[in-house]
Amino acid sequence: MNPVPAIETKELTICFGGHTAVDSLNLSVEPFTLKSIIGPNGAGKTTLFNLISGQYSPTSGKVLFNGKDITRMDVATRANMGIGRSFQLTNIFPSLTVLENVRLALQAKEKIGMVFWRYYRDFPELEDKAYDLLKQVLLHEKWSTEASLLTHGEQRKLEIAILLALDPRVLLLDEPTAGMSLEDVPGILDIIQEIKDSRTRTILLVEHKFDMIMTLSDTIAVLQEGRIICDDTPQAVSNNEKVLEAYLGGGVKA
Amino acid sequence: MTQTPTLVEKDRMDERAKRFKSPTFNLQLAVIFILAVAPFIIPSFTFMDVMAKIMIFAVVVASFDLLLGYTGILNFAHGMFFGVGAYSVALILYYSKSPGWHHILLAAVISLVISIVLSLVISFFSLRVKAIFFAMLTLALAEFAHILAVQWTSLTGGEDGISFVLPGIFNFSWSGPTFFGTQMNGRLMVYYLILVCAVFLFAGLVRFVRSPLGRVLKSIRENEQRTVALGFKTFGYQIYAIVFSAAISSLSGILFAMWICYVNPDSVFHTAIMVNILLMVLIGGMGTLYGAMIGAAFLIVTETWLPSILKAGASFAPDVAIIQNLSDRWQLYFGILFVLVVMFFPKGVIGTIRAMLGQKK
Ligand SMILES: Nc1ncnc2c1ncn2[C@@H]1O[C@H](COP(=O)(O)OP(=O)(O)OP(=O)(O)O)[C@@H](O)[C@H]1O
Ligand SMILES: [Mg+2]
Repeated sequence: MNPVPAIETKELTICFGGHTAVDSLNLSVEPFTLKSIIGPNGAGKTTLFNLISGQYSPTSGKVLFNGKDITRMDVATRANMGIGRSFQLTNIFPSLTVLENVRLALQAKEKIGMVFWRYYRDFPELEDKAYDLLKQVLLHEKWSTEASLLTHGEQRKLEIAILLALDPRVLLLDEPTAGMSLEDVPGILDIIQEIKDSRTRTILLVEHKFDMIMTLSDTIAVLQEGRIICDDTPQAVSNNEKVLEAYLGGGVKA
Repeated sequence: MTQTPTLVEKDRMDERAKRFKSPTFNLQLAVIFILAVAPFIIPSFTFMDVMAKIMIFAVVVASFDLLLGYTGILNFAHGMFFGVGAYSVALILYYSKSPGWHHILLAAVISLVISIVLSLVISFFSLRVKAIFFAMLTLALAEFAHILAVQWTSLTGGEDGISFVLPGIFNFSWSGPTFFGTQMNGRLMVYYLILVCAVFLFAGLVRFVRSPLGRVLKSIRENEQRTVALGFKTFGYQIYAIVFSAAISSLSGILFAMWICYVNPDSVFHTAIMVNILLMVLIGGMGTLYGAMIGAAFLIVTETWLPSILKAGASFAPDVAIIQNLSDRWQLYFGILFVLVVMFFPKGVIGTIRAMLGQKK
């Protein structure tokens, strides 16, 4: 008996003008596992994430979260339900400090956004927690720096810290290590590995570092032109003929 | 638990220790002190009038800045809420046979209810329409309020307006003991009421922008879709801001009416007031809150004294017609002054000073 999938899509489709970016997609992610989504540029990976986290609404089809239909819910509601998202293009609050970026996420998590009669620094637990999270991604030394002054790699780390602050049930990681300097990558991998090993959260990961995906993933789904051409264990995927063909034919970027 | 405090803990402790010792805090205390003793030092009515109006408009402008500078919402009905407050207290005191304290409180409650309901209605429009339409819509609403005040003569007295008397120690005929050679009177009491209320309202606004909610508003300004992705429903936050600022504006309207003891459609509902509020925000600096004080002071002081300064200057050349003519056009000079301020202080006075000091936001 299979458990209820953490994330499930049913015939999920979105068209931009005449172009179908995600095409009748049926995807099912078992709870507390890590599924990677790979596929060539423009395959629809980011679009799929946008559909799951609510930035886009589908032309047709459904998105289920723990068996519940969330297709019509807005982004904020989904975030509050526990669907957390990191973005392929860095998406932070540039003129706020690094700490404040994370603190705001914690504020969202703790639901104290509507408090207007207390000074925001009078919530020391939020600041301390934010600092701890920055430590996890090795960014704590820059806590008081304005986020826009961080290097690209550091901003990626900040993005992860923001995501962790939300303490989501499902993490959608869109190329978390893209643009990071090589020495920073293992740290982020460790974090992802740790989350996976704790088996308390479900992870959907888009990445192009192939060896990384092979070791991290429980399952891999291969996307091409908005369709899944293969969804299986890393072993099976790497031996799948259609996948090899797609990769040789369609640019080698996962 | 860690033994040595982390950098954040240290920073927080530092900030707490300095909170009531910082230069800004001391400056604020000094301003309050000066406003409190001013009537004793310069016992001129014009001077007191200017001070009282600066205090009131500093609050109105700061509450407008809360919307424009902190959330990017351009609400032209802000001046209307000011009028709602003014007319509430005027009508209630005018129609009550023996005006008392409770009538002022009642006016406060009524104007709060009206402004909260109206601003909620406005907010629901802001969900549906684009920013520019929102601005137009609120402008139309404000104009409607003006027309209503003019046309509904049986209630408002139309263009003639309403004059009324204040109860108890606020009544202009009340006189009390003498302190330091200055006799306490009704006007002075209203002045101090304005001072106390303005300090509280301003402090409330400052607290609002530095609260968790204020931080969310800031993050919406900064990166709205990221804020949403954190789980904040931005619409709800914007409603809060609109309602809060409208409520404060209407309370300031009450203070204004109490100071003048007279309201008419042009003195509290005219679009010129809204324009003045906008100018004050721009002069002081958008999104600074404290700029509201500078903007209000600048505008009210020049409005009051620029004409007489020009007159005095022109009196040196009584026979030169062109100088006489030029001196009458004080608004022209005000316009030039305004253009200069905007040119040299594009972020407003406070904004420019902050930028020079390189302050963190
Ligand atoms: N908002 C949009 N409007 C129009 N077309 C879009 C939009 N978003 C995505 N697309 C199109 O959908 C297709 C899939 O894009 P998507 O960003 O999902 O690809 P991807 O798999 O994430 O690629 P990459 O590896 O480059 O990140 C592309 O052809 C893209 O141009
Ligand atoms: Mg992508």
